[in-house]
Amino acid sequence: MKNILVVLKKEYLTRIKNKSFIIMTFLGPVLMVAFYAGAIYFATQGAEDNRTQTIYLSTQKDWIRPGESTINHNKFIFIKTNQNRDSILASIQNNTADAWLNINDLDLQSLDSSELISNGSLSLTQNSAIEGFIKDEIRQKILQNQGINKSTLDSAEVIGGINSLEIGDSGNTESSATGIKSGIGFAMALIIYMFIFIYGSMVMRSAMEEKTNRIVEVIVSSVKPFELMMGKILGVALVGLSQFFAWIILTLALISGASAFLKIGNTTIPQGLETPNGLTNSNKGLELISQLHSLPYWEIGIVFLLFFLGGYLLYSSIFAAIGSAVNQDTDVQQFMMPVSLPLVFGFIIAQSVVFQAPHGKLAKIFSMIPLTSPVVMAVRAPFGVPLSEIVASFTLLALTFILMVWLSAKIYRIGILSYGKKPTWKDFVKWIRQS
Amino acid sequence: MIRVEHLYKYFDEFCVNDDISLEIKEGSIFGLLGPNGAGKTTLMRMLSTVTTPDRGQILFHNEPLTSKHIPFIGYMPEERGLYRKMSVVDQLLYFAELKGLKRSQAKEQVKFWLKRLDIIDWADKKMEELSKGMAQKIQFISTILHQPKFLILDEPFSGFDPVNADMVKDLIIELKKGGTTILFSTHRMDNVEELCDRLAIIHKGKKVLDGAINEVRRSYFNNQYDIHFQSKEIPAQLPHWATLENTQFSEFEHLKIRVQVIDPNQVQELIKWAQETHQMIGFQEYVPSMHQIFVDQVKTA
Repeated sequence: MKNILVVLKKEYLTRIKNKSFIIMTFLGPVLMVAFYAGAIYFATQGAEDNRTQTIYLSTQKDWIRPGESTINHNKFIFIKTNQNRDSILASIQNNTADAWLNINDLDLQSLDSSELISNGSLSLTQNSAIEGFIKDEIRQKILQNQGINKSTLDSAEVIGGINSLEIGDSGNTESSATGIKSGIGFAMALIIYMFIFIYGSMVMRSAMEEKTNRIVEVIVSSVKPFELMMGKILGVALVGLSQFFAWIILTLALISGASAFLKIGNTTIPQGLETPNGLTNSNKGLELISQLHSLPYWEIGIVFLLFFLGGYLLYSSIFAAIGSAVNQDTDVQQFMMPVSLPLVFGFIIAQSVVFQAPHGKLAKIFSMIPLTSPVVMAVRAPFGVPLSEIVASFTLLALTFILMVWLSAKIYRIGILSYGKKPTWKDFVKWIRQS
Repeated sequence: MIRVEHLYKYFDEFCVNDDISLEIKEGSIFGLLGPNGAGKTTLMRMLSTVTTPDRGQILFHNEPLTSKHIPFIGYMPEERGLYRKMSVVDQLLYFAELKGLKRSQAKEQVKFWLKRLDIIDWADKKMEELSKGMAQKIQFISTILHQPKFLILDEPFSGFDPVNADMVKDLIIELKKGGTTILFSTHRMDNVEELCDRLAIIHKGKKVLDGAINEVRRSYFNNQYDIHFQSKEIPAQLPHWATLENTQFSEFEHLKIRVQVIDPNQVQELIKWAQETHQMIGFQEYVPSMHQIFVDQVKTA
C-alpha cells in the first residue's frame, strides 16, 4: 500500500510541475469561455444573410408593397413587374434580379399555384421568410374579409408562458426549471466524458512510456504491477481533480468578474430605453435565480462526484491495461476504439434520449449499465433520480470497476514485460488466464 | 544465501527455464553464462521478483523469496531505461523510496553516489539532457542506492564504453568487499574469469554446467600438454602412448604441439622424450579456457 502512495506522489508531482499543466490550468477556463463566446458569436452572426435580395413580383392584388422591406431580419427589395415569364427568367439568369415571386392570388386559400424562382442566391431562411410573410398576409386578408380587423386580432394574442412547477419533497410547489436542469446535466455529462478521455489516455500514455522506455522492469522489481497501476490511476485522478477544482475556482472568479462588469453596464442604460415588457424580463430573471437556488446542489454534486470518479476509475483501468500491452502509439487506436465506444454511445444517449425523457426507459437502462452510467446518470442527476436507482447504479459501477481492475492488473503484469509483436485481443485473454 | 531449486518457467508451451538449480553463496560473485535466448534474463527476472516461477522455488536465506525481500535486492535489467523528463535527483529519490528508503536516507545516499561517480553537477538536469554514459551511471546508482544484499545485474557491461565498463567492474569488486552477493550475466569470458567465484552455463533453458571457475576448468583438463620446440620441424614420430592434437607456430615461429597422453603418469616420460629427441624450450599443461568450455558446451548441447 505504501508503494501505491509513492507512485501516486510521483505521478502527481511530475504532472503538476509540468509547464503544460500549469498553462492549461490557467488558460483552460479562459479558452473555454473564449471558445463558447466565439461559437455563439459566429453562430448568431453567420446565420443572418445580410445581402439585400432583389425580387421581381408578379401579383394580381397588392398584398406585398413594392420597395424595400425587412422580414425576420432578411432584407428584400420587391419590384413589381408585368413582363412576360421568359424575359423575367432571363433577367434572373443574368442576375439583374435574384428571384421572381409569382403569386397566383385569385385563389386565396392555396399557394400551390404560386412560385418562387431564384438564381440560387436565396437562402432557406429567406425562402421561408417570404412564404411565412405571404401566408400571414393572406390570413389577415381572409380575416378582414370576414370583418375581423387587426386590433381585434391583436387583442386575441396570448402572451407569456406557462409557469411549470413541480411539487418538491416539502410539499411546496417549486418551479421545475427544466431548461436549467438540462443545461447543468449536459455540462456535467460533458465534463465526465471529456475527463475520462483526457485523463484516461494520460494513464495509458504513462503506462506506455514506462514500457517503451524500459523503465518498467526496474520499477516492477520494486513494486507489484498492481501497485504501480493503481498508483498511476489514482495519481492521475488527483491531477484531474486538481485541475478541475482550479478551473471551477477560476471560472467562478471569471463569471463574478464578468457579472460585476455587466451590472455596471446595466445601470447605465437610460430609463427611457427600457422595453415595455421589461417587467416580464426582470420577472424572468428573478425566476431564473429562484430556479437556480431551488436545485438540490448537494445531491447533484455528490452524484456527479461519485459517477465522475467511478467512470474515470473504470475506464482508466482499462486504458492502463491497453497502455501496458501495446508497444507503440500507432497500435493504440485499434484497442481504444472498441473500448471507448460505450462511452461515446452513452454520451449520445445522454444528449438525445435523456433530454426528452430523463426518467424514461432508455435513460433508466443506460444509467444502470456501468460503461454508460457515468455519463447518463450525470445528465439525469439534476432531474432528481430516486436514491434506490443511484445506489443500484453506483454499486454496479463499483463492482465492475473492481472486476476490471482485477482483470487489467493481470493484463498489465504480463503486458508491461511483453515486447515485440503487436498484441491481439487473444493475447489479452491468454494473459488473463495465465496470471 | 540464495538457493534455486528445480525452477521451471514456461512461455506458452515453451520451457524457458527447465529444472534449474543453483546455489549462490553469501558475499560471492556468481556468473551466469549462456548464449542469447538461453533463459538467463527469465531466471534473473524471477530472482528479482519481477516474475514468479511456474514450478520450483527460490530461497532467500532459507526463506521462500517473496515481495518482502524486495528491499534487499537490487536489479539492473539488460534493457536500461529511465524517465526522460525527470531530473536525476528526483528520479533516484523515487527509486530509493520505492525500495523502502526514508526520504532523508535516500537523499544522503543519492548525494553520496552522485559525488562518488563524479556527476553531482548534473543532479538537477533532466535525463534527456545527459549523455549516454552518464545515464548509465545513473542507472547503476539507482540499482545500488538502497544498499542491496543481493545484486542482480543483467549484462552489466554491455553498452558501456571501456572506461565505464572498468568503473562498473571496480564497483562490483568494491561491493563484494562490502559483503554484497552479486549475480551477473554476461557473454564476455574475460569478465567471468576476472570477477566470478562461481559460474553456471545455461543453454536452451537447461543448466549444463555449474561450479567454481578453477574447478570447472580443471574438470575439463584432458591430459593435454603444450610443448614448444626450438626447431620448426614437426617430430616425425610421437611415443606410441601419445596422440597429437594440434600443431601450430608461435609468434616467434617456434613450433608448438599439443599432445594428449593416456595416463597422467606418463608426463615425465613425455618431458624426457621432448628434451632428448627434440630441443624442447617449453612445456605446459593445457587447461581449456572458459571461452573454450563455453563454446564446447553450447555446441555439443
